[in-house]
Amino acid sequence: MSPGEIHGLIGENGAGKTTLARILGGLVAPDSGKVRIGGRAVELSGARQARALGVAMVHQHFSLVPSFTGLENISLLDPGAWNRRGAAARGYRERVEARARELRLAVELDQPVGGLGVGARQRIEVLKALMPDPRVLLLDEPTAVLAPQEVDGLLAVLRRVADAGGAVVLVAHKLDEVLAVATRVTVLRRGRRVLTTEVADTSAPELAEAMVGSEVAGSASSSRRRGAPRMPGEVCPRAARLAGVHARRDGREALRGVALEVRRGEIVGIAGVDGNGQRTLAAVLAGVQRPDEGEAELPPEVGWIPQDRTEEGLVGEFTITENVALALHGQPALRSGPWLDWRGVGEAALGVMREMEVQAEGAEMVASALSGGNQQRVVVGRELLRSGSLLVAESPTRGLDVKATAAVRARIRELAASGDEAPGIVLISTDLDEVLELADRTLVLVRGRLLEIAPGERTHRAIGRAMLGAQRVGNDW
Amino acid sequence: MRRSPEIVRGLLVALVGLAVTAVVAAALLALGGHSPGATFAALIAGAFGSWDRFVSFTLVRATPLLFTGLAVALAFRAHVWNIGAEGQLYAGALAGVAVALLLPTGAPLLILPITLVAAAAAGALWAAGPAAMRTRLGVGEVITTLLLNFVALFLAQFLVQGPLQEPRGIFNQTDSIPEAAHLPALLPGTRLHVGFALAVAVALALWLYLARTPGGLRLQTVGASPRAARVSGRFRATPVVWAAFLTSGAIAGLAGWVQIAGVTHRMYEGLSPGWGYTAIAVALLARLNPLAVVVTAIVFGALSAGGGAMQRDAGVPEAWVRGIEALVILAVLATDRCWQLLAARGKGG
Repeated sequence: MSPGEIHGLIGENGAGKTTLARILGGLVAPDSGKVRIGGRAVELSGARQARALGVAMVHQHFSLVPSFTGLENISLLDPGAWNRRGAAARGYRERVEARARELRLAVELDQPVGGLGVGARQRIEVLKALMPDPRVLLLDEPTAVLAPQEVDGLLAVLRRVADAGGAVVLVAHKLDEVLAVATRVTVLRRGRRVLTTEVADTSAPELAEAMVGSEVAGSASSSRRRGAPRMPGEVCPRAARLAGVHARRDGREALRGVALEVRRGEIVGIAGVDGNGQRTLAAVLAGVQRPDEGEAELPPEVGWIPQDRTEEGLVGEFTITENVALALHGQPALRSGPWLDWRGVGEAALGVMREMEVQAEGAEMVASALSGGNQQRVVVGRELLRSGSLLVAESPTRGLDVKATAAVRARIRELAASGDEAPGIVLISTDLDEVLELADRTLVLVRGRLLEIAPGERTHRAIGRAMLGAQRVGNDW
Repeated sequence: MRRSPEIVRGLLVALVGLAVTAVVAAALLALGGHSPGATFAALIAGAFGSWDRFVSFTLVRATPLLFTGLAVALAFRAHVWNIGAEGQLYAGALAGVAVALLLPTGAPLLILPITLVAAAAAGALWAAGPAAMRTRLGVGEVITTLLLNFVALFLAQFLVQGPLQEPRGIFNQTDSIPEAAHLPALLPGTRLHVGFALAVAVALALWLYLARTPGGLRLQTVGASPRAARVSGRFRATPVVWAAFLTSGAIAGLAGWVQIAGVTHRMYEGLSPGWGYTAIAVALLARLNPLAVVVTAIVFGALSAGGGAMQRDAGVPEAWVRGIEALVILAVLATDRCWQLLAARGKGG
């Protein structure tokens, strides 16, 4: 890497992107090999030391203290924030503000970050990394949670950092973002570097092929519209209906009068920026949360692919089989008397692994040892085993690589097209491309309200604008 | 849940840990001017020297540890950190004794079942307070269960000095319980009582419950991730947490009353030498596996039985046994950790 370079690091889940970034960030010690910074071989023994050498990292999962304000969080790792007596240095706030202006980062410094949206939190995270002006900035999948406009804003900031002479490493799973901003790109596959090239000399299909090692039918991020018009006059039975639903989450009103009807065999796409009521809507649709007001007609059993697969979709310390059992333990077919039929569950788990092509040493492998993509495959396959006429999929391909994404989307499409037995599918996703690619109709969830998007207005710009609602619109991030 | 390789590994770790303990303890004993050989000989003879030593001493002393160890293991599986087995044991002992002494003696066949139920109920009740505080107010049970131990201990002291004291009023103890409330001998001619069999039955039942039933799966899910319980398991965590608290308390309550009904036949101050606390070591060494708790409880029972013999025959103060108990825990935990590190290195390299 040289100064002024933006280096895209891409690869499938489990290819080693995060590990490589963590080695450079000083969080993981390499078993062998050397890291050189400024021509000097260094042994990085921790984030603080990496930082002292000019390497700053923005993590995939936020590393902010929720109860601290933005300014407090930024000051945590910055030795310049403190004077010799350990008190806050004078003028620090002004320096932070000046830096934010220079990078054109709109940050909220005085509120506890726990109450901010994901995008706002990430801007603080980025500013925190950039405060001591690092030589190398590492970002691990920073765009996974952002709205399109916010992604553009972030990429613009990265460009400014590089223009100022910094080197940027962008770990990403979306090819188009890497192609849009990176100058060079490295592809990892199963822990090996398979390709490093100038972005100008390559193309999306070439990179995709390098990532997965085989020709992929269509890049996952191409927004291919499904369309699939139904026969005129054909009305499928209703799978679920919400009317005037109000519901709270953590004491705050998260849904304010939501009406939604889902028919079997259709995919209803619900776009929106994280934190606008998605979690609550999913919980209500899955029958886990009862609405405070309004009606919810739901089938007795609902498949739910939750957004947070490590905390909600799976129990990390359980095996794949046990995780399958967790969802299916209520089914009479898997019981004999008071006992759980572990053999039946084990077969179901193997079925899930075959169906979803889960790469694991066996069904007795502990879930936390699987890569993110394989974990998600387990969750998806398992939720499809619930005998339900409704499936709620919450950002089902979040953080997945091209191949896993394609597999999950294909499965969802297949499911919707499976004839009379097809469930109604509600796809709640922060990934607009995904919604546009899969959904028969599109709604936008903004501040707890659902807006229907007319078929003629299904464009990135229009929906993006609706997604941001009353929030700031435009590229001034 | 169904991890047989885990059990084999656990056994190996325990054996290596015991060997390490023996080496370290031998060195310390030698430094302290005692003969390690004679000391160990006395310890082993005291615990396993004869069929009667093993049955009448080791197994008898293992029984309350087995109950409390199971209570702790069950709670910990649900990530309910019940440090209060000691208090629940006293609550069970008091309830059992009180019912046995106050019940009219007209129904001798019913007295044992009734007292056992009373003891279990009292133990559960003693755990109910912390359960309510955890589920309703979010108060950590480590503090509440621990503090209630002292309440139970002082309550016991008060009762055996006052309302429940023997009519003679000489010792701080209750009257003898009626013969009908005695637990019968398990093996004729030994001191081993039916309580031991009951404890083993509880161990077996818990193991089956955890390994083979939907309820057991739910219990462990709640421990590992309450959010996954709600989202993936579609059940509410709170009732499961309550069940874990109450069952754990009930089993610990049985420990106290079974000791009285099977061995002492009366309640007195200082009934338990800290079984509720040793239980934590017993449960952790068994990796919270109920069947393994049977083994670890017997190991600690053997140390306790052998300790007396060691003091008598080798002239080594019994405090050394406490030290050896602690060494066992440290050695097994250290062995386990080293084992994991070696396994990780083996995989990585």
